Amino acid sequence: METMRNILKKLSLRNILAANNDGPPDLDELFVDIKKKIDNVFNIKSGKSGGNGNLNNGKQPVNSNFDGIPTGTILLVVFLIWMATGFYIVDQGSRGLVLQFGKNTEITQPGPRWHIPYPVETVEIVNQEQVRTTEVGYRSSRSGGTSQELRESLMLTGDENIIDLQFAVQYNLKSVQDYLFNNRSVENSVRGAAETAIREVVGKSKMDFVLYEGREEIAIKTKSLMQDILDRYKSGINITSVTMQNAQPPEQVQAAFDDAVKAKQDLERQKNEGQAYANDIIPKARGTASRLIAEANGYKAAIENEAKGNASRFDQILTEYTRAPEVTRNRLFLETQEQIMSSVSKVIVDQKGSNSLLYLPLDKLINQKSSSGNQEDQTQASNQRTNSGSSASDVINSITERSRGAFNARERDAR
Amino acid sequence: MKNVSKLATVIILLLIVLTLSTFTVDQREHAIVFRLGEIVSVKDEPGIYLKAPLVDNVRFFEKRIMTYDPPQPDRFITSEKKNVLVDSYIKWRIIDPSQYYVSVNGDERQAERRLSQTVNDGLRAEFGKRTILEVVSGERSEIMDILKERADRDSRQIGIEIIDVRLRRVDLPQEVSESVYQRMNAERKAVANELRSQGFADSEKIRAEAERERDIIITEAYSDAQKVKGEGDAKASRIYADTFSKNKEFYDFYRSLEAYRKSFSGKEDIMVLDPNSDFFKYLRGPSKK
Repeated sequence: METMRNILKKLSLRNILAANNDGPPDLDELFVDIKKKIDNVFNIKSGKSGGNGNLNNGKQPVNSNFDGIPTGTILLVVFLIWMATGFYIVDQGSRGLVLQFGKNTEITQPGPRWHIPYPVETVEIVNQEQVRTTEVGYRSSRSGGTSQELRESLMLTGDENIIDLQFAVQYNLKSVQDYLFNNRSVENSVRGAAETAIREVVGKSKMDFVLYEGREEIAIKTKSLMQDILDRYKSGINITSVTMQNAQPPEQVQAAFDDAVKAKQDLERQKNEGQAYANDIIPKARGTASRLIAEANGYKAAIENEAKGNASRFDQILTEYTRAPEVTRNRLFLETQEQIMSSVSKVIVDQKGSNSLLYLPLDKLINQKSSSGNQEDQTQASNQRTNSGSSASDVINSITERSRGAFNARERDAR
Repeated sequence: MKNVSKLATVIILLLIVLTLSTFTVDQREHAIVFRLGEIVSVKDEPGIYLKAPLVDNVRFFEKRIMTYDPPQPDRFITSEKKNVLVDSYIKWRIIDPSQYYVSVNGDERQAERRLSQTVNDGLRAEFGKRTILEVVSGERSEIMDILKERADRDSRQIGIEIIDVRLRRVDLPQEVSESVYQRMNAERKAVANELRSQGFADSEKIRAEAERERDIIITEAYSDAQKVKGEGDAKASRIYADTFSKNKEFYDFYRSLEAYRKSFSGKEDIMVLDPNSDFFKYLRGPSKK
């Protein structure tokens, strides 16, 4: 019965307040009257039961039952049932808004609550913390797939191109009062704000920016613009995030865009190939250069050494030669002749007596002597000698000369 | 007991009187009290109010902000004579219920029709002054502000405040969109071609540069090599000259012999000789010459 008293107190207090607000004195009096009447009922009851003058004694209704007054009991039961309709539960994350005669007087936190029953007070429970989502440009179906809404997703960019943009807005409430009392159909307001905001932002941006590097920035700008718009309506909405689901060129131009992206990759590839070629030939060239230098140094050393060697050999022979010129000269001549004669094929022809033509089948001779010999040389060698030579030096001179380098080194150089 | 039943009767009677003679105004509503069709008072504040039973009639009007969203986008023509489809919405609110009631008979639809006419007139005027580009990007918010001001001024006469007019969508009609797509395709193609040519050019440049470097490296090395070889040749020449000039005649002889030896050294060399030569002088006879 403790609560009962509180309730009555609350009731009378609020009534007085309400009366003060709008000031119809009749109303005030009316309630005072009602209160008096109610008091009287209890007083009568208590008087009958045993003179207990207390306003609200819990045992008294039972007493009145004993006295056999069922109408009073019925009234009380009806009253209690009426009182019981004032209980309500506010879920976690929600707020209860109590309206007394249509005016919001109290916001209640989660838990079991009680308000003065209808028609005095009513309650509206609003989920404040739940994250709500609005999808723009697409709709998720229950099966998990998405379907595109072209009317929403296609938009013009600042450079008069058309792009296809899909995004989701997530929001919760920062003020349940604003949410409940300031706007009709708040969800539609959010969608409207989302569409107008994204188009304003995209309309001021270039297509490439929206499609590639600027996605994040677009989302951020859209979020703040949306929040501005919704604050202007005092909607109580708090935008928590704007997430780009998809930003792409429209279907009609998709292929061309893909090709452009591929072209960019081609560019990189071609550059890399060029670089690879460079990386291949330059080290090789350095190698070749080193070889050339090394060879030149080798050549230099070789030719110098050869010269030194040849010079020193000549020097020594010259010393001996000056000591005995005649003998040395003859010796050298004969040794040379010996060496030559012992190695070459020889044909000795005496032509003094006969003037007749001599047939000398040199080609056959050559074939005989060297079956593995040099074929080209044979034709050259097939010169016929018809005339009689005279001196020894002539003999040697008359031989078909073959070009052999005087210095071995010269041959190497030619390479 | 009699008292109790009396009380019940009294309570019930009181309740009936109360319901007939009071009304509550929600925080979300305006209320207008009519007495036999005449407006006697407007209740803007929430709470419970008295009225004369049976004689007074109360009507409630929305106090919250409402949205008018035209079902179809409208066509407008921009200054460059291009068609655009514009989808807008209007946020409005009743601020003067009696004016509102008098002007549009308290009918939201009628109010919305009025608003949309005003806003469309505004749109037509503003779009006619601007190009698509200005409408879409440059002066979008200015247009919205102008429209709002204009609509607000007009709607005050019917007890309505315009909170906001916003362009939701400004789109090109289908046939214009097609040409935009074509242009976009062409642009991308140009970009792709440029990228590819650029790639080819870059690649060629890198290759040419590399080849140039290679040629320089090799020719420099060749030049150095030739220089070194020349030094070698020069030194060798000097050595030979120094030595051989000691006895020119003997060098001639000696060198010739060496050359002969080298020239005739194999069986494939055939010599056709005259027995009268010096070498065979003793082959002909032992006599001293």
